[in-house]
Amino acid sequence: MAFAVEMIGVSKSFGPVAANRDVSFGVRHGEIHALVGENGAGKTTLMNILFGLMQPDSGEIRIDGKPVVMESPRTSIGLGLGMVHQHFKLVPSLTVAENMFLGMEITKAGLVDRKAQSEKARALSEEFGLRIDPDRRIHELSVGAEQRVEILKVLARGANVVILDEPTAVLTPQESRDLFRIIRRFADTGMTVIFISHHLDEVLEVSDTVTVLRDGAVVGTRPTKELDEDSLVNMMVGRQVNFDRRERKKMSGNTVLELRDVFARDDRGLPALRGIDLEVRAGEIVGIVGVDGNGQTELSEVVSGLRAPSHGEIFLDGKAVEGSDPRHMRAAGLAHVPADRLVRGVNPGADIASNILMGRQHVAPWAKKGLIRWGKVRELARELMQRFDIRAKDEHVAVKTLSGGNMQKVVVAREFSQHMPLLLIDQPTRGVDIGAMEGIHDEIIRRRDAGAAILLISVQIDEILALADRVLVMFNGGISGEVDPANTTEEEIGYLMAGGSRSKEAAA
Amino acid sequence: MEVLETIFNVSLIAAMLRTTTPILLVALGGTFTTKAGIFNIGLEGQMLLGAFFAVLGSLWTQSAWGGVAIGVLAAMCVALTFSFFVVTLRANEVVVGLALNILAGGLTITLTKAIFGTRGSIVSGDIVGLPRLHIPVIEDLGSLGKALGSFTPLIYLAFILVFVVWVIIYRTKLGLYIRVAGEKPAAAEALGIPTGLMQHIASLLCGVLAGLAGAHLSLGYITMFAENMSSGRGFMAVAVLIFSAGDPVKVLFGCLLFGFADALSLRLQTFGLSSYLVLTVPYLVTLGALFLLTYRQRPKIFRETAESLQLIRREKA
Ligand SMILES: Nc1ncnc2c1ncn2[C@@H]1O[C@H](COP(=O)(O)OP(=O)(O)OP(=O)(O)O)[C@@H](O)[C@H]1O
Ligand SMILES: [Mg+2]
Repeated sequence: MAFAVEMIGVSKSFGPVAANRDVSFGVRHGEIHALVGENGAGKTTLMNILFGLMQPDSGEIRIDGKPVVMESPRTSIGLGLGMVHQHFKLVPSLTVAENMFLGMEITKAGLVDRKAQSEKARALSEEFGLRIDPDRRIHELSVGAEQRVEILKVLARGANVVILDEPTAVLTPQESRDLFRIIRRFADTGMTVIFISHHLDEVLEVSDTVTVLRDGAVVGTRPTKELDEDSLVNMMVGRQVNFDRRERKKMSGNTVLELRDVFARDDRGLPALRGIDLEVRAGEIVGIVGVDGNGQTELSEVVSGLRAPSHGEIFLDGKAVEGSDPRHMRAAGLAHVPADRLVRGVNPGADIASNILMGRQHVAPWAKKGLIRWGKVRELARELMQRFDIRAKDEHVAVKTLSGGNMQKVVVAREFSQHMPLLLIDQPTRGVDIGAMEGIHDEIIRRRDAGAAILLISVQIDEILALADRVLVMFNGGISGEVDPANTTEEEIGYLMAGGSRSKEAAA
Repeated sequence: MEVLETIFNVSLIAAMLRTTTPILLVALGGTFTTKAGIFNIGLEGQMLLGAFFAVLGSLWTQSAWGGVAIGVLAAMCVALTFSFFVVTLRANEVVVGLALNILAGGLTITLTKAIFGTRGSIVSGDIVGLPRLHIPVIEDLGSLGKALGSFTPLIYLAFILVFVVWVIIYRTKLGLYIRVAGEKPAAAEALGIPTGLMQHIASLLCGVLAGLAGAHLSLGYITMFAENMSSGRGFMAVAVLIFSAGDPVKVLFGCLLFGFADALSLRLQTFGLSSYLVLTVPYLVTLGALFLLTYRQRPKIFRETAESLQLIRREKA
């Protein structure tokens, strides 16, 4: 039987960079096919070509055995393809429902029937177990919620081939499991799925077949049952990567960040934080976990000065913070890795060196007498590119042309190299490969050992458990409990994430 | 008190609606391009050519509506040229817009000279102006009704269009696609919505309304064409569009403000104040009011500007 999707000898270069080299692989009907590889291996490029967003330099695409030319997404959508993009393609000022039905609006008397769209969106959201309020605008949502919209958008279209580019990077493990259950169900009814992920456990758990890319070329395609994590890593990076559980240090310096009874409202004016008390000491990593949408976004915005608390006080180094202004917070000693790198992390059009410069453009030795000393900045950029393994030709490359994981590394490199006493890290390893993830984890530990106070927010519970010295669980805008990462269980965390509190547990 | 009464009366309101109309029409046109993500500084030229060709058309066809149609067509040609350069060839929109404005100014003068052998203006008894509608229901409402019940059709149309444009932009597929093309083209492209086409359509719609605005100038209350008769209204429309972010309702209020100041300045002229001074009033009032209205909405921009100024000063010191 012919493959549902087949790519034969596909090559694509961007100037001197060969993103895809003679790539061939096939996906059978009803199969879940995982595409894995390091950051910059060419996964997104390959899928963009398949979807018609980019044209290959050479090579052929066949759908159901028939050669096709994917001129634009119109062609591929017409052939029954759907794609969830690594960097979301959602319209910020439109509602969830409007985004979901964009291009296939429900109309009544020539006008868009927004009520019908809302209702249908709600029904779909319930059917697929992806929680979302259809009437909220995209710009009010957390990245996790945006991810769910992006997935629902494709599911709503009823595609028979679905491409998912890192759909789980900002989903909690529970949400990922739900998603894969849905996908499994679809695959059983004949839908073909191609998905990209850096979470190898996930890949091994749900896929039928794995294709590994390295430096733009296919290393191999294998049935999943012949693989384990080690062999997969070996294929991806060509070497062993060791995952040690990190040593935890009991240490308590002076309090760097303190939140006292902080309340805040979200963009709609509804309470999002309800009485947060929190303390982060020098040399300590405090991890925050919780189901997305329980106040983590607002917490990180309040700490970074992007959102004013409606009540309560924030102390930095014992001094109360007046007003809320990201610039004051930074001047007072905050470095911040935001959850959405394209919105708040980088200036995509500028080169790596300029992005590394951001935030220190007034500081010696990078500026002198109001002039930027580009020589020094470039030197720093080169050094950081090496230290953080940012894969790009040189520091003059525009950030928007980097692969998603490499973009993330630019943000991390810039923020970590500021040597600030307080680090706010929101989804530190979103979209980075396992090798680089280890690298970033090492850097986080190194910053802690150097005495930085670190507030770490992540939907990846494993990551929090591996790094944090203390873990706080958020529920419904409050902190429902604290656990010791060394001897907690998934059940305990799950219980707290669902709103159960310690005292209730004790009483029961 | 008496003075005030002679200034502020019913006929001032009527005059205000009259003077609001051309800028409202052209600004409503601009909402389409603004929403499509195009900064359309060429409104002035489109309106001016619309006015010129409306007069020509009226002479050729001996019908006011023939004139309006030809004026609109002319403005659409300019709009299409604009979007061809800006959307298809990706030229800079400000440069193209300004070039077309200059072209429109020169072309109308040259053609006036070539066709009529005169300089500056086309005045003729043969130009058929737009008829005044008499709407009995409104006219029966006393003196205010008298003032409001007998306008040319384009005035009523302009105010009806506020609603129509609002519906198109916020409630139809076309409007939705135009907004998406302007706000997040990548999202549209990924779903197979052709953003370029949407921008061309937005520009053409803009041309239609700019043409109507021009026709109102030259066939509405005075039936003549004068050199540069749009006199900066296209630019005022651009200002209103910037402050309103292309929202038709906010556009309406911005334009009413301008129309009011314009009507007021006309009235003040009859009091013997220097006409040069008086003629600046509408522009100053509108800009000042728009600035005040949006000052609070954009504290960040102003704060940041103030901060950078401080920084520069500090570094100089
Ligand atoms: N538009 C572009 N212009 C120039 N180079 C590009 C462009 N898009 C991608 N590249 C380069 O092509 C290579 C492959 O990038 P791609 O985004 O496909 O990687 P990826 O496998 O998806 O990585 P990640 O896991 O980090 O998302 C990278 O070296 C990247 O810098
Ligand atoms: Mg990618």
